[in-house]
Amino acid sequence: MKPFKKTSTVITAFILVFAIVLAACGNNNENTPASASSSNEPSPSVAASTEPSPSASSEPAESSGATALDDALAGKYKGTKVSMFGPFTDVDQVKFEEAIKAFEDTTGIDIQYEGSKEFEATISIRVDGGSAPDIADFPQPGLLNTFVKSGKVIDVASFMDAEKLKANYNQSWLDMATMDGPNGKLMAGIWARSSVKSLVWYPKKAFAEAGYTVPQTWDELLALTEQIAKDGDPAWAIGIESGAATGWAATDWIEDIMLRTTSPENYDKWVKGELPFTDDIVKNAVKKMSDIWLNKDYVYGGTKSIVTTAFGDAPKVMFDNPPKAWLHRQASFITSFFPQNLKSGEDYDWFYLPPIDPQYGNPVLVAGDIYAMFNDRPEVRAVMEFFTTGESIKTWIQSGGVIAPMNDAKPEWYTSDVERRMAELAQKATTLRFDGSDLMPGAVGAGTFWKGMTDYVSGTVDLDGALKEIQAGWK
Amino acid sequence: MRRRKGRARSKTVVNVVLAFICLIWLIPTFGLFVSSFRPATEILKTGWWTVFPHKENVTKDTIQLPKETDLRQPIEVKGKAYSDAELKSGVKASDGSFLIWENRRGRTINVQQSGWTMNTSFTTENYKGVLTGKQYQITDTDGSVKTKKGSGLSRAFLNTVTVSIPATIIPILIATFAAYAFAWLKFPLRKTMFVIVIMLLVVPLQVAMIPVLRDYTALGLNGTFLGVWIAHAGFGLPLATYFMYSYISQLPKDLFESAFMDGASNFTIFTKLILPLAVPSIASISIFQFLWVWNDYLVSLVFIGNQPGVQVLSMKIADMVGTRGNDWHLLTAAAFVSMLMPLAVFFGLQKYFVRGLLGGSVKG
Repeated sequence: MKPFKKTSTVITAFILVFAIVLAACGNNNENTPASASSSNEPSPSVAASTEPSPSASSEPAESSGATALDDALAGKYKGTKVSMFGPFTDVDQVKFEEAIKAFEDTTGIDIQYEGSKEFEATISIRVDGGSAPDIADFPQPGLLNTFVKSGKVIDVASFMDAEKLKANYNQSWLDMATMDGPNGKLMAGIWARSSVKSLVWYPKKAFAEAGYTVPQTWDELLALTEQIAKDGDPAWAIGIESGAATGWAATDWIEDIMLRTTSPENYDKWVKGELPFTDDIVKNAVKKMSDIWLNKDYVYGGTKSIVTTAFGDAPKVMFDNPPKAWLHRQASFITSFFPQNLKSGEDYDWFYLPPIDPQYGNPVLVAGDIYAMFNDRPEVRAVMEFFTTGESIKTWIQSGGVIAPMNDAKPEWYTSDVERRMAELAQKATTLRFDGSDLMPGAVGAGTFWKGMTDYVSGTVDLDGALKEIQAGWK
Repeated sequence: MRRRKGRARSKTVVNVVLAFICLIWLIPTFGLFVSSFRPATEILKTGWWTVFPHKENVTKDTIQLPKETDLRQPIEVKGKAYSDAELKSGVKASDGSFLIWENRRGRTINVQQSGWTMNTSFTTENYKGVLTGKQYQITDTDGSVKTKKGSGLSRAFLNTVTVSIPATIIPILIATFAAYAFAWLKFPLRKTMFVIVIMLLVVPLQVAMIPVLRDYTALGLNGTFLGVWIAHAGFGLPLATYFMYSYISQLPKDLFESAFMDGASNFTIFTKLILPLAVPSIASISIFQFLWVWNDYLVSLVFIGNQPGVQVLSMKIADMVGTRGNDWHLLTAAAFVSMLMPLAVFFGLQKYFVRGLLGGSVKG
């Protein structure tokens, strides 16, 4: 009898544990649609918050013609709190908090920003766990898209003045903020910051001393590369190592070249997955990149070192004396990796990555942070409206490190010429396109695209094999 | 005589093997320690082991080649032709010296001889940045530049202590009670419940995160110390209970029976007999639990978050590196600061740990 009893005890226990696990998982799935539907209507999600604010107050405010921002500036929401969650930390966080201080003082709204290096993973846990922040800062619209699809994001067009938005943003930005929700298209958020990607950095002083000139066309760029190689240096500093994200720097190159070798429509199709990676158009873009990357005389450390050099360390060799490399294509943020004693505009500067095919004009690749709203309360609306103004990042612009997507951010706010020219570049662009890999679904944009490019550059697969590998991520 | 000799020899072998294993375990930590005192630019260029005297090629002379030398043709140096690739990685000349480019653009070549050298550039900047916080330049609306000081590790250090100590004491207290009950008390479903506890050992804690977070949101425990104490206690309990059970159940039965005869209640037996006897195992599970809580990132990330008032050390350190990891060199110093507390706990409790192990064996 005894052994039987023991077995039955074990079986009972096992069933119980299994039931606990099942309950834990099942619970999750059951509740998702419920909370999804609730956030579509404005009022129920207000109830979920712990704030004592009256939910009805938003309606009369709208009908009287005053926006939530006006109400906030009039001190109507004094003492309320708005929680915010985003991926930037450290110095960026300090600059952000400095920039919103005046607004907080005037309105009495306390914006509680929380930054996390694990934003991408944490935001999903928080939204699923029912503790979504009021506002979240998404550097990747692709990620935001998944929340929009499940109906958890508030449509900002429901309370914002469309005319004002049109006046303050380039239409491309507004289009990029429009996403497919469960009940049709909605405006998923507002663009608060941008960075320009089509930049080639160079050590300005040494560059001038060596007698080089900034190339205006792709052919001139290649000629300059060859000239530098003849003079004894590899021209390009390239590194794509970035831990688990190794390869992303290569995807930026492909996107930039795609914009220069094919039409914006094809680029959009490519980003949506309608134009496969195996197509000749994409293949041609990768070949253009390979002209530089796979030539061992053109890359510092040779092609092999590209995948093992950290993207942040790569440009540092440009500032050795004499420079060991001369050109580095990277987004505007890279200056934070430059040695600290360098003067922007004197020791380093950038030029626009020249166009390849003149018929596609001067396209510019950008990235940016979009603020999305998860809880609909009047003070959150007010804060969101505030973020559509250039004023909301004024001191951040002045302190450097950010480009405003808003039109009312004045050029004179930029304290360095280097950044002012970036803002102008983005405003004058004939085509403005967002970083494609950030728009693609995670399996491709943050998966096979990175991996495939890394494999190709390291030489483990050939071009066709790599493109097939990347395309496989779409399935 | 021979036997004693053999024993001594085997002891030496054991000691040598142990010393070797210790060395292997310590080398990465030591490397980290050396790196934490080196400037970031140096870390990028040379390894930490170059701080020791070592043999390296030292430049003795520089040769200037004609400016118009074509790098894609064989290059003539001291009457002998070398290829560019050879000069890039360095090549041995006929007279035993070593030839390597100093500046390809300037067409200068270093002539090097092998010699002793060591790397002596050290700095305390990394620790300064970690302990007192970094400096940020902020331009104000009126165009004036002001310097803002970021926060150091002190606040996060205190927060981690606030999280760790209760999160170690709570589960171990409960586990010791439970272990006593499982081992010595008779009550219905005792075995079933114990097997459930054992089985919970294999359930990954990640499974519970979102459900627990939902409950916390409903209860308002999110982002509070109480919430994370409970979470850590819950996740640590199965192992602690099992660990304490295996020790307490091995205590001699007669001890409790005689205490019971003398009229001791269960609570008296527990406080007067079990607790003093179980000190070594309590100390060892405390070390485990404390280390786990101290180094934890995931549980804190989900249940407390990054608000400066509650942020723990592991998250603060991750933040210090900057949004894009540009200040990675601070990691070395920060890692050492965060190691201080676990080391102190380990050495503080290690006495009990060893005494417990010996206590059993000597009496035999």
